[in-house]
Amino acid sequence: MKARREDWELLGLEPGADIARVKQAYRHRMSVYEPTSLATYNLLDEDERETMIGRIDRAYHRIVGAEPPPVPIPVAAEPQSATVEIPSGPMPDPVRDPGAHLRHQRLRRGFTLQRISAETKIAVAILEQIENEDFDGLPAAAFVRGHVQQYAREIRIENPDAMAKHYLDKMQGQSLED
Amino acid sequence: MNDTLDLNNQRVPRVWAIGGGKGGVGKSVIAVNLAATIADSGQRVALVDADLGGANLHTLLGIPNPKANLSDFLSKRVSRLAEVMTPTPVDNLWLVSGAKALVDMANPTFGQKGKILRHINGLQADHVVIDLGAGSAFNVLDFFLVARKGVLVVVPEPTSIENSYHFLKAAFFRKLKRAEPRSRVRETVKEVMEGSQRTPVRTPRELIARAQKLDPKVGEALRAEADSFRPALIVNQVDNRRHEKLGTDMVSACQDYFGVRLQYLGALPHDQVIARSVLEQRPAVKFFPQIPFVSNLRSVAENLTYARPRPA
Repeated sequence: MKARREDWELLGLEPGADIARVKQAYRHRMSVYEPTSLATYNLLDEDERETMIGRIDRAYHRIVGAEPPPVPIPVAAEPQSATVEIPSGPMPDPVRDPGAHLRHQRLRRGFTLQRISAETKIAVAILEQIENEDFDGLPAAAFVRGHVQQYAREIRIENPDAMAKHYLDKMQGQSLED
Repeated sequence: MNDTLDLNNQRVPRVWAIGGGKGGVGKSVIAVNLAATIADSGQRVALVDADLGGANLHTLLGIPNPKANLSDFLSKRVSRLAEVMTPTPVDNLWLVSGAKALVDMANPTFGQKGKILRHINGLQADHVVIDLGAGSAFNVLDFFLVARKGVLVVVPEPTSIENSYHFLKAAFFRKLKRAEPRSRVRETVKEVMEGSQRTPVRTPRELIARAQKLDPKVGEALRAEADSFRPALIVNQVDNRRHEKLGTDMVSACQDYFGVRLQYLGALPHDQVIARSVLEQRPAVKFFPQIPFVSNLRSVAENLTYARPRPA
């Protein structure tokens, strides 16, 4: 699917802007339409907000999809010889260290990121960012919530919604401080 | 009428109107200090207190009883607006006070408004800064629209954001209604509005798109009006990093939702010293020039008054 002119416009960019600027614009635009965003307070109803988020997301993905990927990504979901790491140490606390908690739970159940990616259609890179709590690199909170829920469901964590909430709490607390 | 008086004044002042819908967001403090900042750079500035219902710029400048004010002009006691200009403690800054304006002056007639505007353009000043009252009444909107730039002041609170969007929308609709050819614009707009019972027109952007379908010429005229509507934005009373992104967020939201391009001038920090300067009736720019509020305001003033060369 190729990016259209409107996609660039929607992100407030000149067509062909480099990938770093695209990502920055995407994150900015998504944050404008988050439910907690002050700048759109009472400007849009819930439907309009979701429509807008959907439009921005599709535009972004069309643009990014049109970019040649920097390194070839192996298509094969899981190498035959893949061995799953064994988790070590005690279970990290889901509130204080939600990313590490997810990783620990995943490894305990013997899942690779590739397998979770194949099931959830969430890119391995994003799953990694979630585990590493790379908040700056992650998309807007509205998406991270969904991703974490899906991820948690996939590895059979009991309460995926609560898990997502812990994750978001930490993510939003953190990004205010730095 | 004595409007030819200033014909030999070759320079027409650049007019900046400070508004924003909600009261208590710091419009007046910003108007005084913005005017003082520009005056500080050596240019002549007239500050006009058009908050006719609740004028208080004289107090912020430490002039409790200005000897003349806007109502002297409106009631024709003096014939020229320039005659009610009062010197202030700030060099190069004069005040046209709204103090003690008569109650019926709070809603100037169409004629009075026109008269004020003509005289503002005739003032011997490089810049005129107008402090508008709160709210979105027509006379507030009209001053906002005739200025070279209308400046919207918001604070990081939902009530202020809500009011500022309401204000922008009201100002924009008013501007669109005055587009030429006026009768056709009016008919088309009416048709759009009446034909939209099921899906009401919520934004100027939608209005223009629908008008375009009905009458391309009207659509073009409205689009031209929209393109020339570029209000500026100041975010006041900012005290954390999350608030700092409010300005750029609002620029994006306005662009997407209204199709209006805001010019973001900058954020001003929440500052206790400002409360003190108000209490002591001493403008911060002159008496507390070191505080971050003032240094930020300087860059706001630069962003505002920097004139790109106009295409011929």
